[in-house]
Amino acid sequence: MSQRTQENEEPRVGVFVCHCGGNISDVVDVEKVAKTISKDPRVKYATHFMFMCSDPGQNMVAEKIKELKLNRVIVAACSPKLHELTFRKVVAKSGLNPYFYEHVNIREQDSWVHSHEPEKATEKAIRLIEGAIERLTRQNPLKPGKKKTVPHALVIGGGVAGLTAALELARRDIPVTLVEKSPFLGGRVTQIDNIYPTGEDGKDLVDDLIQKVLKNDLITVRTNTEVVDASGSIGDYQVTLKITPRGVEEDVEGLDKAIEICPISVDNEFDYGTTKRKAIYKPYPKAVPNLPAIDWNTCTRCGECLKATNNKGINLNPEFKEDTIRVGAVVMATGFKPYEPLPGEYGYGEDPNVITLPQLIRIMENMDPNSKEFIYNGRKIKKIAFIHCVGSRQIEGVHTPKEGKELNTYCSRVCCSTTLWAANRLKKRFPDIHMFDLYRDIRTYQFYEDIYEEASRNNVVFVKFPDEEIPQVKIVKDDKGLFRIETTDILLRGKTVAVPADLVVLAVGIEPNPIRDLIEIFSIPYGSGGFLLEGHPKLRPVESSMEGIFLAGTAQAPMSIQETIIAATAAAGKAATILTKPEIELSPFVASVNLDKCEGTGRCVQECEYNAIELKEANGGKKAVIDPSLCAGCGACVPVCPNRAITLEGYDIDQILAQVEGMLKGVKAE
Amino acid sequence: MEKFDAVIVGGGIAGMQAALDLGDQGYKVLLLEKQASIGGTMIQLSKVFPTLDCASCITTPKMSAVSSHENITLWTLAEPKKIEPNGDRFKVTVFQKARYVNEKDCTGCGECEQACPVIIYDDGYDESLGPTKAVGVPFATAMPQKAVLHDDYCIFCGKCARACPTDAIDFTQRDKEIEVDAGTVILATGFLQTPTIKEEYGGGRFKNVITGKQMDRILAPTSPFGGVYRPGDGKIPDSIAFVQCAGSRDKSIGVPYCSAVCCMYAIKQATLLSAALPLADITIYYMDIRTFGKGHEEFYEQAKAMGVNFVRGKVAKIKEKEDGNLIVRVETFGEDGRIEEFEHDLVVLSLGLVPQWYPKGIVNVDIDETTKFIKLIKPMTDPTLTSMPGIFVAGTAGGPKDIVESIISGSAAAMKAAEWLNGKLRDAFFAKELDVKQVTN
Repeated sequence: MSQRTQENEEPRVGVFVCHCGGNISDVVDVEKVAKTISKDPRVKYATHFMFMCSDPGQNMVAEKIKELKLNRVIVAACSPKLHELTFRKVVAKSGLNPYFYEHVNIREQDSWVHSHEPEKATEKAIRLIEGAIERLTRQNPLKPGKKKTVPHALVIGGGVAGLTAALELARRDIPVTLVEKSPFLGGRVTQIDNIYPTGEDGKDLVDDLIQKVLKNDLITVRTNTEVVDASGSIGDYQVTLKITPRGVEEDVEGLDKAIEICPISVDNEFDYGTTKRKAIYKPYPKAVPNLPAIDWNTCTRCGECLKATNNKGINLNPEFKEDTIRVGAVVMATGFKPYEPLPGEYGYGEDPNVITLPQLIRIMENMDPNSKEFIYNGRKIKKIAFIHCVGSRQIEGVHTPKEGKELNTYCSRVCCSTTLWAANRLKKRFPDIHMFDLYRDIRTYQFYEDIYEEASRNNVVFVKFPDEEIPQVKIVKDDKGLFRIETTDILLRGKTVAVPADLVVLAVGIEPNPIRDLIEIFSIPYGSGGFLLEGHPKLRPVESSMEGIFLAGTAQAPMSIQETIIAATAAAGKAATILTKPEIELSPFVASVNLDKCEGTGRCVQECEYNAIELKEANGGKKAVIDPSLCAGCGACVPVCPNRAITLEGYDIDQILAQVEGMLKGVKAE
Repeated sequence: MEKFDAVIVGGGIAGMQAALDLGDQGYKVLLLEKQASIGGTMIQLSKVFPTLDCASCITTPKMSAVSSHENITLWTLAEPKKIEPNGDRFKVTVFQKARYVNEKDCTGCGECEQACPVIIYDDGYDESLGPTKAVGVPFATAMPQKAVLHDDYCIFCGKCARACPTDAIDFTQRDKEIEVDAGTVILATGFLQTPTIKEEYGGGRFKNVITGKQMDRILAPTSPFGGVYRPGDGKIPDSIAFVQCAGSRDKSIGVPYCSAVCCMYAIKQATLLSAALPLADITIYYMDIRTFGKGHEEFYEQAKAMGVNFVRGKVAKIKEKEDGNLIVRVETFGEDGRIEEFEHDLVVLSLGLVPQWYPKGIVNVDIDETTKFIKLIKPMTDPTLTSMPGIFVAGTAGGPKDIVESIISGSAAAMKAAEWLNGKLRDAFFAKELDVKQVTN
């Protein structure tokens, strides 16, 4: 087997074993590893060091390359996800081909998982490195390809996160298409009329942002628009959009009347079902775009509305269209939805006076501003009980998951502050109201502690119930109130208390909007609760590990508005870093086809999940042709080819076999 | 006057991230760090929640990237003395302390430190737990890897100068002031722990009552003790208590707010201690457990499952016994609801975060009157903006944040700074009214 080197030199390997500050060296005998490896004649230098990734560690690699004319470098350390790139840069700076570098994982794949067997872990580290030496000494001097970047971003979601991301990108001179699934911009924030901690109306806050977005020539806003398909990869995606017609095409006279006479009445999602709306509707007077829209799921196309507008402006049989755009990066700003309690959960659905916190906020905005009393469902509300952690911090064996779903084990972060902010507002408006707050831990973090203090001053009665208990909401209709909630109060030394209430408000948590389709279209990893997963919480906090996809706001995790805006700005910044450069470097680890061997069976085409392979006429027959910009280097096509015509660059079959043999050197079959 | 696109004040994780983001986009950055090394608080830490990555593994490569970046100029021992608007730009007067070591010649070999006879315990890298010398490289992974001589402690004996193989020690260096021109400024000045002034907890006098940061140093791979021992007498502790809200949610010490990270760092330390000392009892006394970040609640549940004892109750007082053990007085919520006392041999105060730097007299940005952090003038819509157009805030300088949030805010501030530099944000500030175009569909 011929050894291929950059300058056809004999391989001179340097091996650097990292302690990872004890993460590795507490288990693996790093000294022994270095000593054993140095016996290999190809290894010209082997050592170990506290933190290879630190500056002294990196300098050591560079110096040894120079001093000993090393032409192959191995660092045995953490996962390559963390620091493979770090060391490739060091190797490249020292004048070597950056792919003459191999990162051996002896932390996640060794010391962490074999912490109770240090000797075997040491042996494993040695074998992993020996395998790497075999592969690396057979490595070609790979050269990454390049691809032109489409300097255009797609932002999915027209709430605060998406609006912010779009605006920030446009301010960096990057054209943006912003798509919003619903007919109106603004998202959840428009549903909150008074936002902690500033008391601003969410509609004003969003409107300010929307106006800036609309004034910006670089941003194209498309409402009622969904992403239904996409192909391509970082730098160049082709995205298919499905555009649902608005139905209302022109601002004509009589539209208000049209809404009034529409005979259809359905639950108004803007008010979380506490009011009704028509099939032709506008969520609030200043909604943007300001034209009403038709809800095609409920409209019967009866034509009543057309009577109000003299048959003008409304088209009840419009065309549903598709459009394709090309973008270089995608910002996911798909937002959240409040947890919907199960039927009967804390009495929800059993009595209309058990409501959720988002419903309470809508009810408060829709209330007669002059009313001196809080009347709900015809009942004067004198006592309110708030119950926290509904749909959050769920515990196995205590809480019930939704069908086909896992428990929401996470904390939703914003519900404590939102609840107490609402309580304080209620107290201000209705000074005689009594409020009880049933909680597990009050999490008014950072400066929101003020809100908690104010609630205490407002005589909100706090009842701390145990984590593993569910307060029992009973409908009693006695002279104390409509409900009695029985629970243990830790603050009263574990006594059982009965809290009376006329209204029960469930502080429901945050769930990501259901975006399974988008997750599949763009192959985006997601984690617990269905929230989109970041590449690494500290190294790539607003980027998906699927390159070219950026995460903004509550699609990633529960966040406050302020945190959402910071995240969206950061995500836009990361996207801008790619989109302001004319081209991006592609991974050289891609599959390539030997056209002489290929017989055009098409098996690889079926196997490829990235649509990177096509059968094309070439060399006098149908041949598989791979687009390196789409190839993810997964290798799935290699073994299915009956003619062994496909090679994965950097991981060819000879290399892999040699690596396996290297690992198993001296091992006898049992 | 040297010209930069951006001056970033503070070389902690937020400032480094902002510098790297701007540098990667081709902007010329000057990064000012008050200490002799960049890295900030994060480089002192052991492992970081909730993934238990080692802090160094995240920080040192960023430190290295900053120092070798073609677009980033790094000045250590440097802080702004004055930042003032200068037309559309800023004039920044930098005060740089003398290092007394020629950076060009110093190889970071450590001979000077060996030779120095002055042993000091200061609140630097090892949080006064371990000795350092009046001269030496600040710590093993310091960036730059250059010695620094502390003139407050130096007795000018000259031993270091004689020991230095490259004659890099230079007693003639003087502090200096340098004026630079900058298009924008990012303040990433970070935080300090709440001071241990609370008398009820010993006011900093009890030997076996340590701070949260000290516990992190003890648990770090670069621990000054090389293991978990209590500082008073080197005993291995069997019973360790964490006192939550020891420096937050407490008006008596001027910190009414919640510091947002102490619950998680205490739980992280408890988790690491459970592994280091499997037989030790670990108790966390708390008011509310606030594990609200991504993956944090699950981390808390895991600690409970590992046997960490969570006791609801605010610690009222700590007393020191003659043998160095501590008596912790706490109102628990058991059935009889007594005020109880428990004995522990090591107590960790989970202190909060207060601002490290006050802009008064240096730059005219507003600070929040209650919290003293730099005031965010548009907290909801533009949370990196200060009261001075063109000056942005990143990381904990604007309020308590964990590491992930600090990194994200560093990136966000960098983005805003870039928009300021290309003039677009300026236009937005002085709103140029344009016609509103139609929304497609």
